[in-house]
Amino acid sequence: MTGPWPPTSRTVRDRGVIDFLQLTVAGLSAGSAYGLVAVGFVTIHSVTGIINLAQGEFAMVAAFVAIALLAAGLPLPIAALLAVLVVALGAAAVERVAIAPAAGSSVVAYIMLTLGVSITLKASALLIEGPQPSALPAFTPGILSFGGVLVRPQDLWILAATAVAALGLYGFLERTVTGKAFRACAEQPTAARLVGISPSRMSTLSFVLAGVVGAVAGVASSPVIQTDWNIGLFLGLKGFVAASLGGLASIPAAIAGGLLLGVVESLGAFYISSGLRDAIAFFVLIVVLVARPSGVFSTHAGVRAGVRAH
Amino acid sequence: MTRKATRLTVEGLFAGYGRIEVLHGLSLAVAAGELLAVVGANGAGKTTLLRVISGLLPARAGRVLLDGRAVTGIAAEKLASAGLTHVPENRLVFPGMSVADNLSLGAYSRRRGSGQAVEQDRRFVLDLFPRLAHRLAQPAGTLSGGEQQMLAIGRGLMARPKALLLDEPSLGLAPKLVSEIFAVLGSLRDQGDLATVVVEQNARAALRIADRAVVLDRGRVLLSGTPKALLTDPRVQAAYLGRGYTEVAP
Repeated sequence: MTGPWPPTSRTVRDRGVIDFLQLTVAGLSAGSAYGLVAVGFVTIHSVTGIINLAQGEFAMVAAFVAIALLAAGLPLPIAALLAVLVVALGAAAVERVAIAPAAGSSVVAYIMLTLGVSITLKASALLIEGPQPSALPAFTPGILSFGGVLVRPQDLWILAATAVAALGLYGFLERTVTGKAFRACAEQPTAARLVGISPSRMSTLSFVLAGVVGAVAGVASSPVIQTDWNIGLFLGLKGFVAASLGGLASIPAAIAGGLLLGVVESLGAFYISSGLRDAIAFFVLIVVLVARPSGVFSTHAGVRAGVRAH
Repeated sequence: MTRKATRLTVEGLFAGYGRIEVLHGLSLAVAAGELLAVVGANGAGKTTLLRVISGLLPARAGRVLLDGRAVTGIAAEKLASAGLTHVPENRLVFPGMSVADNLSLGAYSRRRGSGQAVEQDRRFVLDLFPRLAHRLAQPAGTLSGGEQQMLAIGRGLMARPKALLLDEPSLGLAPKLVSEIFAVLGSLRDQGDLATVVVEQNARAALRIADRAVVLDRGRVLLSGTPKALLTDPRVQAAYLGRGYTEVAP
């Protein structure tokens, strides 16, 4: 499909309302991808204190893997699931190879390591895929109309994939022993060690979880945003802004932050200037960091701040 | 008292942080069924001692033996399943998680074992601390200081320890709660198999229930003996039981 999205409808009487609704749906769809990337930042940061600058690249790699598997003849659902699996394992490998051996380093050193991973993945994508973008086909073709409000089915797919990933993660963290151990490690790492929870295993797990949510975001959004070697920068930065809205500490707040950012961006690009689309995220980030560095949605700023005290 | 096998032995322990050495060749031993109080001023090395025993801090020299087996250098997260439990200073409950989850995480090192045995221990802990039974669904961070201490001890017991290390269980608690918690520690000791080490600033409270006590001074054992002997020792009275230490009602 070509042309700007969403198309503006000029034939309908209450076109203003319809424009607004279409922009909101498009914003929620982009925003849920940001939200998933943001969740990846939160899972890694809450357990390790690291801000993973390769988070956006997890999404980029997953999309390229899915595109390649599809081209190799696999059906789309299988290609998508395998891409998520590959990136989850790849994220574990990143943690084992690039992060774990640096145990005891400063947090800044870890962040530089993730920057190295990010650059490596970007350069590899550029070498293998070239500079031109490619994309997965929409999971369902066509356009849906809800009382004149036109919606791309892919937007609903993105929302659904986000909901499934978020609920799956919630169930894992709330209901399973390993998930509870993961939360314990984020809340109180010393006590977690004393009951037998291994911080290094939880660190690996945090990368796996971040890989899964990043990969889901990358695969589900590929038909809409187009995948190129540099898309991870864009997704990663937006995801980081979304995560910082929740103070990098809360998964629900990260998703809410992503949705909010997506909608603000979509509305701002239409009603103010389309050139502002990407600037909006950074404007939001600056306002948050100046006004509420602990996050807009965070209720207990002090508690998580001390996570890496020991 | 009948002599029981030595459960926990510390031999010539040296440890510290960076260039500061805190423990200078410290040795002590605790038998099964014995409660050892470790008292001493701030900075004497009490917390450091427990951190080294439980593997949170590496020893620079010396050995820690559990049931005769050297456990020096084993990381804290692995020692939990070996039967050594450390209830840390400031309780360190998991604040955002429920009391029930805190207790079940206490048995994390037994997650591949029998669920029935864990359930049995959970009931045992809730019998010891009935207040917790009414708060199972409540986030641990919303408990009072005394309840958090009970939870921290309960969580430690869920690992079914052979040796239990407690760091300042009386810290910040009202005298009545201190008595309650120390009574529980006494009753656990009376069951005969647990070796308990209680590190305390509140020396009188600890000495009241201890079988034996050591006084630490700047990283060394200054004195050791029965609580009665230490309580009447003029050096102890002058240094550790003078003004500034709260007398706790029996």
